[in-house]
Amino acid sequence: MAVRILLVDDHPIVRQGLRTLLQGRGDWEVVGEASDGVEAVEKVDSLQPDVVVLDVTMPRMNGLEACRLIQQKHKNAGPEVLFVTQHDSPQMMREALDAGARGYVVKSNAARDLLEAVESVSQHRVFTALARSPQASC
Amino acid sequence: MKLRILLADDHEIVRRGLCSLLQKREGWEVCGEASDGREAVEMAKKLKPDVIIVDIGMPSLNGLDTTRQLMQYDPQFKVIVLTITDSDQVIREALDAGARGFVLKSDAARDLVSAVEALQSRRMFFTPRVNDLVLAGFLDKGHVVARNEAPNLPTLTVREREITQLLAEGKSSKEVATLLNLSTKTVETHRSNIMRKLSLHSIRDLVVYAIKNNIIQIQMPAQIHRAPETTVA
Repeated sequence: MAVRILLVDDHPIVRQGLRTLLQGRGDWEVVGEASDGVEAVEKVDSLQPDVVVLDVTMPRMNGLEACRLIQQKHKNAGPEVLFVTQHDSPQMMREALDAGARGYVVKSNAARDLLEAVESVSQHRVFTALARSPQASC
Repeated sequence: MKLRILLADDHEIVRRGLCSLLQKREGWEVCGEASDGREAVEMAKKLKPDVIIVDIGMPSLNGLDTTRQLMQYDPQFKVIVLTITDSDQVIREALDAGARGFVLKSDAARDLVSAVEALQSRRMFFTPRVNDLVLAGFLDKGHVVARNEAPNLPTLTVREREITQLLAEGKSSKEVATLLNLSTKTVETHRSNIMRKLSLHSIRDLVVYAIKNNIIQIQMPAQIHRAPETTVA
């Protein structure tokens, strides 16, 4: 299934790493990149991705705020949000899901979990995996 | 002959990004990837890379102590420190440790290639921001004065710093001993020496010391930046 993806992280090198991983799936397309929450919200409007891969800690507007705004603006017609973050914490994961995210992956395990997570959330299934948890739960 | 680069960062996603960036350059190859400082030191000894790129905030052995150990093993190693922090103290510690390049992670996509090129040509590399900070330090205070104003910390040996990090990360003396191929008794002796030198009385004190002195780094909660037009009711 073709999936259009927007990458959001304030570190270009992390976006490059995410891109490299996602290139493993030829039918997926990275349609754009954003470096903070404000830009992410704008690019969701203009690019209409299926999945937003979103960092939590960013300048100007963090990922949680951006996720809430995206959900508020697009209701059920918006993209699915997958957080990829350094916060390996159940509390942060709960906040992310409460903000409307469909998935949560810890950066240290992104190489292991990212493709499966994007696959799941693009099909509107929840995917969460903390680094400390023995395996991902779908 | 190819320029051989060793990468050390605990996040594979970052290593992927760095690899992708560096391998675009003809004649450069990433000869190894390490996920913590200890692995980086071992790989550097075996692979003898031309340039070593070291993240500062790695578990088990942080980037500053990794740099110290690398320079202790071979002062000819060329190390670039990658960091998310550009405080005066971190810059000074990186330089004291022997790093010849200092690149902010947020600027890595722009600056890392230039940094590797500089080290290849036996020059040092600082990002413009770090250059400004270093220059400001010289202009405002003079290098010697600035160094004298540094906190008057007791000196720990390389081994003691290594053990301080592992204990502050929550490892027991037995676990530290296993990791470093030492006896538990030796680790206990180091631990007592560390506590005495630093005038600390508990592991809690040790953790606080390790955080304050960039031996370990902690995750900060996400800061809430609310733009007025985006406030959610």
